[in-house]
Amino acid sequence: MKKEIHKVLIANRGVPAVRIMHTCRDRKIATTAVYSTPDRLAHHVYMADSAVHIGDAPPAKSYLNMERIIEAAHASKSDAIHPGWGFLSENPQFAQAVIDEGFIWVGPPPEVIKVLGDKIQAKKIAQSASVPIIPGISPVKDAKDIKEWMEKNAITFPIIIKAAAGGGGKGMVRVDSKRELVNAFNQAQSEALKSFGDTRVMVEKYIEHGRHIEVQIVADVYGNVIHLFERECTLQRRHQKIIEEAPSPSLRDDLRREICFAAVRLMREVKYVSAGTVEFIFDAPNKKFYFLEVNTRLQVEHGITELITGLDIVGMMLDIAMGKELHVKQSDIRPNRWALEVRLNAENPKNFSPSFGKITRLLVPQGPGVRIASGVYEGADIPPYYDSLIMLLITAGVDRDDAIRVMDRALGRNLRVEGVKTLAPLLLAIIRHPAFIAGEFSTYFIETHMDELIAAFRYNYSEDEVLKIANYVAEISALGPQKWM
Amino acid sequence: MSKYGFVKPGMGAHEIVKKVRDSREVFFASTAMRDAGQSDYKNRLRIHDLLTLAPLYNEMGLFSAECHGGARWHVGIMNRKENPFEEVRLLRKAMPNILLQTLVRETSLWGYRPYPPNVVKYAVSYVDIDVWRCFSFLNDIRNMEPVAEVVINKGKLFEPTISFTDADWTTDQYYLGVIDEIVALCGGISDIILCIKDMAGVGTTKRIGTLIDKIKQRYPDLIIEYHRHMTDGLALPAYLSAAKAGAKIFDVEEDSLVRFYGEPPMLAVEAYFEEAGIHVHLNREAAEDAVLKVREWIGNYEWAESPFKGFDHTVTYHRMPGGAFPSSFEQASKGDFLELMPAILKVMSLYNRIIHYFDVTPGSQITWVTCSGIVNKYAKEQGNIGVKHLIGLLNKFIIEQDQNFESMDKEEQEELLKIFRNAPDDFRNLILGQYGQLPNGWPAGWVYESTFGDAWPEKIKTRNDLSPVDLLKEDSLKRLRSNLEEAIGRNATDEEFVLYLMHPKDAVEYIEWHEKYGEAALVLPTSIWREGLKKPGDKVEFDFWGKPYCIELASIGAEHDGVVQVVLLVNNKTKVYAVQTPHAKKEDKRMAKGANDIPSPVNGTVWRIGNPKRGTLQVGDIVYKGEEMANVEAMKMENVIAAPFAGQIREICVKLNELVQEGQLLFVIDKKVGSTEQGILPADS
Repeated sequence: MKKEIHKVLIANRGVPAVRIMHTCRDRKIATTAVYSTPDRLAHHVYMADSAVHIGDAPPAKSYLNMERIIEAAHASKSDAIHPGWGFLSENPQFAQAVIDEGFIWVGPPPEVIKVLGDKIQAKKIAQSASVPIIPGISPVKDAKDIKEWMEKNAITFPIIIKAAAGGGGKGMVRVDSKRELVNAFNQAQSEALKSFGDTRVMVEKYIEHGRHIEVQIVADVYGNVIHLFERECTLQRRHQKIIEEAPSPSLRDDLRREICFAAVRLMREVKYVSAGTVEFIFDAPNKKFYFLEVNTRLQVEHGITELITGLDIVGMMLDIAMGKELHVKQSDIRPNRWALEVRLNAENPKNFSPSFGKITRLLVPQGPGVRIASGVYEGADIPPYYDSLIMLLITAGVDRDDAIRVMDRALGRNLRVEGVKTLAPLLLAIIRHPAFIAGEFSTYFIETHMDELIAAFRYNYSEDEVLKIANYVAEISALGPQKWM
Repeated sequence: MSKYGFVKPGMGAHEIVKKVRDSREVFFASTAMRDAGQSDYKNRLRIHDLLTLAPLYNEMGLFSAECHGGARWHVGIMNRKENPFEEVRLLRKAMPNILLQTLVRETSLWGYRPYPPNVVKYAVSYVDIDVWRCFSFLNDIRNMEPVAEVVINKGKLFEPTISFTDADWTTDQYYLGVIDEIVALCGGISDIILCIKDMAGVGTTKRIGTLIDKIKQRYPDLIIEYHRHMTDGLALPAYLSAAKAGAKIFDVEEDSLVRFYGEPPMLAVEAYFEEAGIHVHLNREAAEDAVLKVREWIGNYEWAESPFKGFDHTVTYHRMPGGAFPSSFEQASKGDFLELMPAILKVMSLYNRIIHYFDVTPGSQITWVTCSGIVNKYAKEQGNIGVKHLIGLLNKFIIEQDQNFESMDKEEQEELLKIFRNAPDDFRNLILGQYGQLPNGWPAGWVYESTFGDAWPEKIKTRNDLSPVDLLKEDSLKRLRSNLEEAIGRNATDEEFVLYLMHPKDAVEYIEWHEKYGEAALVLPTSIWREGLKKPGDKVEFDFWGKPYCIELASIGAEHDGVVQVVLLVNNKTKVYAVQTPHAKKEDKRMAKGANDIPSPVNGTVWRIGNPKRGTLQVGDIVYKGEEMANVEAMKMENVIAAPFAGQIREICVKLNELVQEGQLLFVIDKKVGSTEQGILPADS
């Protein structure tokens, strides 16, 4: 059953919206952007062929507002909707509504999203596909449930509380001691409600020094399921990934094969369609991996897989949505590059406090081996209501050292963002850290080395210093000689 | 080393002194980089301009360049926003062959109050200076000991300095006694140079010649430097007289820098000496170039010159030192009492007969504040007649009655007994011995009664004869450093800490200024530094860290709500600055600073004050360690604000749903340590 897509509405903003529009441009498919009031002049709005206002700043009024988005699709005569990542991308009701309204949904079927979106059910599926899972309990009503489960199964701290409907680090709280348990439980529940409208939480044993490895899957409607190899996403801060790379430096080829096929098995079991990612926690010392969850959407870090395989995952999603058969077989996928991605968030690099405001200057790195996915432009405003990601910097090289070298150049010499703070100094400090270079790190890496990383920040860029001098010139020019003069 | 170089950094004190002694020539020390600015330009001469002289100094054959210390340090961080440490680095690079010299005020170093020995030693040890000219406004040599110890141990040249004035009590015998103490402190004369500091410029040709002659008779090998201001108009003959008597080093500045209250002009002194057969070690060509170089920028400082111009021979009565001239007149002008200056100077000339010390920092400030205070009080209460009456009263008491208190009428006595009642604290401390011993004994009893009223007998009992070196308790450097670090919110460097030890408030302001405006003070030419860019198209070009930069003015907007938008082109790229004018409404966000202040960790919204279990918190509530006090949401992430320790809420500084900045003060809590409170706190499990 083949359907043509002539115009795609992208139910998103910022980096993902811009990324998807790039492929649409390649494919000569028209695009519709949606925007909230503060995003009226945002980058994605100008990238699109048409744009529709869908409500006020709070996500619930705009980017999570299904009705308004579907109205916008009708009004703009779009025939398909791509949800990007975040917002409604893993919302089965939305996917269903899109289909019911006669649009093509560029993503997995709603029932698959629903089943995999529930971490409790997802674990059951993993079990039936013979994929190993972490000890855990779900659902939990209160802190007492957790204490009982821990006592009964001789589980020790740390543990992690997660929103059952969650993802993206929201509603996830790590607990290290009994004393924190109540606060942590309340926080997880409250964040779960805020982010997903669902208070259900689950609890798992926290794998210490675990590494986070995920497998990119693409599947068509004809039951062809292939993997595009793995990505390593261990470097996180508060469960949000900051640096990703492909392939994983922590896997040997036999384990790589094993983990990739486990992912394919699971996705076949659930009759997955479109692009999706199976996430694992890898217990490196014991060479064991456990199923974590499936992300039923395009992922932020899909770009590194594209760079090592030469494929366009967004393009494949569009093809699959149009009912085409996969144009590659598993044996065609032969990665021959190493790729590294850093997430440039508009945050204070010392404490991750969000930094919003106007980007007064933006110089984007260029040169060999660099791919940039930017959600902003010079002069753009970063509103305080949404995710702080403003740009993805991806570099590729023949091997890991090469990719790191290119990233060092991109972050350290070419990139310049004025007006808001970004994570750039931290990212640079991380990729220059000997442990990172040696590939020896865990999800704790940033917390453990934070002081060391901050100490490595370079502050004295002459460009910054000259702006301070210019600030003085501006003031004295406007105000005239000071009292003591 | 050029053919004129004869001493240079790295030489030991003994070697330097020997080279000077062995030479048949006399030498110049240039005070252009320190005192020229202080005495005639209110310390406004910027390192940006002074640095242009450095390459010439490097070849000039000077004994030293005094470029550091005095009030230059303080005004540097307070106004010019120049860091004295950075200045030394720049000068060292630009004139590596020249001895760099500082001027320190014994226990007050570069500040105004006596610091305990541990602070003095700490600060001195961090400063990279070759020649340490050290004076005491009391000639209390005991006070020099901590500075001398560190300087001599570092192998640098210590230059003990006697403060000089011309009064009935400052006899040759008096000065020789002071010099004996110096020689004892320094263990002889072979490694020191003695300076005579004539800071008001009052030494007559005869007086200075005799004094130097007497000193040379007692210590024939002692090298003497004569430092003299020109205020009385008779500096050159006094210099020649000193040279003939055996002084070896003379303080001078570029002829084009000279105004009225600084040191004599170098080319003129050289010519005058040569004519008299005294050969000066000077590369005259380089000196002439330096005189020309000054003309390139000195025109930018007309605004900084003293409002009172011209020589003043009455300095021999009132003895105001050169360095205090422009600043005193500036204060009088700002305080709107310029017309009282003649009366104040007159009162100063009488005052210095009642209490004997030398009018140089901090003494000159004490004299100035005390005397201008007395005159202002009379002027305010009784007008011109009152001022006249005051001078009449003092004249009668001091000149006619020779300070015989009993000889005055009852009414006059009562008036005298109130005259110092409003004197500043520094005056009170001075006569109670907090600065050290006065050079000619303590003032008469009526002065104490006049100052302290009925409490004077008890007060006089607290007076002591010890030096502040022995009197002051050591400061805790650790505590002071943590105070600084709390104030600036980060670790301080050692240099920043030394700045803070000297002038705590101004140092913190300087550090904050520097963080905001960077190297503006070093990089910008003086006209731009003072007035900025005036019209669109005006630009300033400079090299910075090896790359060329240009800042051009595009436009200055009209003032709107206290903000002016200034558009600059920084290397051709547009940059908009919103400049707040003094009319701007200050958005007063309180930031957390102290240990009891709880800051917001992020920029975000305070969406809950308190916690779900307990509900909203109120002022006065007790919180236990780790209890959630509030929650700040930012980009959908929640941040628990946990109590860092058990305590009682003293203040809640934000409202519910308020948008807060990172570091903004949320709560102030008082630590609870008593057992009573602990009883009601849930135990930490």
